[in-house]
Amino acid sequence: MSSWLDYTINGLIVGNVYALVAVGLALIFGVSRLINFAQGSIYLVGAYIGWVAVVQLHTPLPLTIIVVAVAAALVGLIIERFGLRPLQNSVRIAPLLATIGISFVLDQLVMLTFSPNPRALPSQLPDVRFQVGGGTIGPLDLLIAGVGITSALLLFVFLRYSKLGWAVRATAQDRDAAMQMGVDVNRVNQAVFGIAAALGGVSGLLVGMYYNQIDTAMSLQATLKGVVAEVVGGAGNVPGAVIGSLLLGLVESYGVAVFGTSYRNLFAFLLLVVVLVLRPNGLFASARQAPPEPLTGTFIAPSRPVRIPRWALLVAVGVFAVLPLLPVSFYVLQTLINAWLLGMLALSLTLVAGTIGQVSLGHAALLAIGAYTSALLSLTFAVPVGLAIIAGGLMSAALGTALISPSFRLRGHYVSIATLAIGEIVSLVILNWESVTRGPIGISGIPPLSLFGYELISPTSIYWFSFAVMVVLALLQARLLSSHLGRSFRAIRDDDVAARAYGLSLNRYKSLAFIFGGFAAGVSGGIAAHLYSYINHETFNTQQSILALTVVILGGLGNVVGAIVGAVALVGLPEVFRIAAEYRILIYGIVLLLLVRFRPQGLLGTI
Amino acid sequence: MTNASPEPLLALSNINTFYGQAQVHFDLSINVARGHIVCLLGGNASGKSTTMKIILGLVKPRSGEVTFDGASLIGLTTPQIVRRGIASVPEARRLFADMSVRENILMGAFVRNDREAIAQDLDKMLTLFPKLGQRLSQRAGSLSGGEQQMVAMARALMSRPRMIVMDEPTMGLSPLYVDRVLELIRTINQEGVSVFMVEQNASLALEIAHEAYVLQTGKIVLSGSARALKDDPRVRDAYLGGAEAA
Ligand SMILES: Nc1ncnc2c1ncn2[C@@H]1O[C@H](COP(=O)(O)OP(=O)(O)O)[C@@H](O)[C@H]1O
Ligand SMILES: [Mg+2]
Repeated sequence: MSSWLDYTINGLIVGNVYALVAVGLALIFGVSRLINFAQGSIYLVGAYIGWVAVVQLHTPLPLTIIVVAVAAALVGLIIERFGLRPLQNSVRIAPLLATIGISFVLDQLVMLTFSPNPRALPSQLPDVRFQVGGGTIGPLDLLIAGVGITSALLLFVFLRYSKLGWAVRATAQDRDAAMQMGVDVNRVNQAVFGIAAALGGVSGLLVGMYYNQIDTAMSLQATLKGVVAEVVGGAGNVPGAVIGSLLLGLVESYGVAVFGTSYRNLFAFLLLVVVLVLRPNGLFASARQAPPEPLTGTFIAPSRPVRIPRWALLVAVGVFAVLPLLPVSFYVLQTLINAWLLGMLALSLTLVAGTIGQVSLGHAALLAIGAYTSALLSLTFAVPVGLAIIAGGLMSAALGTALISPSFRLRGHYVSIATLAIGEIVSLVILNWESVTRGPIGISGIPPLSLFGYELISPTSIYWFSFAVMVVLALLQARLLSSHLGRSFRAIRDDDVAARAYGLSLNRYKSLAFIFGGFAAGVSGGIAAHLYSYINHETFNTQQSILALTVVILGGLGNVVGAIVGAVALVGLPEVFRIAAEYRILIYGIVLLLLVRFRPQGLLGTI
Repeated sequence: MTNASPEPLLALSNINTFYGQAQVHFDLSINVARGHIVCLLGGNASGKSTTMKIILGLVKPRSGEVTFDGASLIGLTTPQIVRRGIASVPEARRLFADMSVRENILMGAFVRNDREAIAQDLDKMLTLFPKLGQRLSQRAGSLSGGEQQMVAMARALMSRPRMIVMDEPTMGLSPLYVDRVLELIRTINQEGVSVFMVEQNASLALEIAHEAYVLQTGKIVLSGSARALKDDPRVRDAYLGGAEAA
């Protein structure tokens, strides 16, 4: 039915769409060494503005494209001015975290305005197909190709012949030197964000028309694909981003042709990981070229952590331990159980991101590995639940560390990208490995928590169980951090070059951190599986990874007590204020933004 | 032009600079008289480049004053300072490696809008730096160190500055190019541009400078006319004997 030519055409068309996103990412990375995780949200906004224009205002196609480009550019300018410019002198990871926060806020605003239900976005073009060789091509394909080529030409002319374009290129190559020529880098940033947003918005519009459907899940997908294409092409390399995008489109399209649709993303992320590991500067970086400097050095705001006296901690543990004996509602216990589970994940992430400085954006994958291991062992092999959870923790530790280890030599932003990709890969393998994971159907009927043969059904017993596990993990981690191991971890975080010069083996210490962190997260996932009794490949998603990161920053990166305080605060406060579920992600995004801007050291301070 | 005019073109007074906790400058005061070449000498890590960055607004001092032509530069951004008439030849040249030589030179005129005069100035640069003529469309990153230095100097001149600040312009160059660069600095100066240059190589710098300052771990320990310093035994011991100052 579909010929290879069709798959090629499809790959190139999709590649064109990716290119519109990736070129913007490359421009921004070039100028400010920042991976803009809000790029996909602008794409989403573009798609929905397009929907309003087409469906409600009935604008003709050319006008629709202009409206979307202008509106998206405005959003980009606002992000640059109010979200990022205030962070110029702040810690280097701050802008990246801010773009994550901004993407949460934008996505949720779109979802609240338009509801999460998919909408049809008609293309306004005649529905005909022309025969070309052995394949077919439609007017929309031509439109997308035309927009892609026109944008590339305009961009080329801008960069090559306009004064501002020269400033953009000069800033990308040497920011300080450009300033010494009189270039106002704020204006350059503004220009680049405006252009990137306009291209991203139009891309969202075209994709919506191509599939005749838009929904809010598009955002993260677009960011991920754009980042893949950009890194494949070489971060900050604009022509590279175009070629990387076309390559990605083709790889996906052929992959789908051979293996089926559900493999599409798997190929994208495998391509990314392979490129990251083998050629972190991208496929086209010449050997002479210095690698684009990723964000290295101190990731976290130096601060004096709040000292909490031991007796106060003991009192707090005591109060929470006897809480179920007091007349509190099940609802409170339920909420706190969620907090303890999130606390375990946060312990894991605060070690990995805070103490050793590997800012992971895929931490939920560790939950998933632990959860699936524990669920399958107890279901299929009737392993006692307590043991199965421990096995889940061990599996997360082993598999998580093995998966991330090829990326140990990466630094800064690249670590975040690699972990994000690995997180996606784990979830896609779960989706596709049906014989083991039951694929999209998920695993149901997972036995409830039990300990030594006694089932833990009542909220009280579940509460005590999860609280006790979390406290034990926290104690172990605190112990670990006060040993010489903790000092080595921090030395690597603060200056890995110097740490290596002192003879510290980076790989060994990073492995140790991921092993310990993997175990804590895996245990949390395992417990969750038995609590929920049903899990699937979407139960542990990127949103949770980002939530965990917010918790960890809220508590203070590297701070053990802070991780738990952060979890309680982030889970508990929305309950206290009875904030409706659909507003919560919005609140989390805003919390992340405010923290990064005003209190990057978190509540209790970084360690 | 035998005496420095009463009001210097550039004046740094009582500058104290910190990187985090570490103090880099201690009550640093430097004057550059109009039309002069002033040289700041000092060993590695004595705070020379940081002085350049203070003038250009890339680093903010914790206290002290910087004035150019009588007006304070404190609080201005780097592009604003450049527009006042200060051009720079940064340490290690810092060309835009992937842009062509022509584009690099023209980037120097970024603050100007007079297209015709810019084109004329480009021609003038090619007479001043004849070697660059055949290299105009080449990637700047592909030039030799000496050629890159020429581009960096041409780039700085393109803004028609009143003053150029240079950070170790002879570093890493072959002896032939070192002489050429010094000669060019003198030529530029004779056309009325004041020069503030940072150097480790005292004997070279003192050949062309009018005045010089010696910086040691952030403090000015000596200053005066270049001629006097050349004969000063302390400078001779510290710098001219070939031994690096600590
Ligand atoms: N960005 C910076 N952050 C922290 N310390 C710096 C920075 N730049 C320079 N330093 C330190 O300040 C001191 C002076 O540096 P610099 O001005 O570059 O000296 P010079 O140019 O004389 O070699 C050195 O000890 C150097 O390590
Ligand atoms: Mg220096």
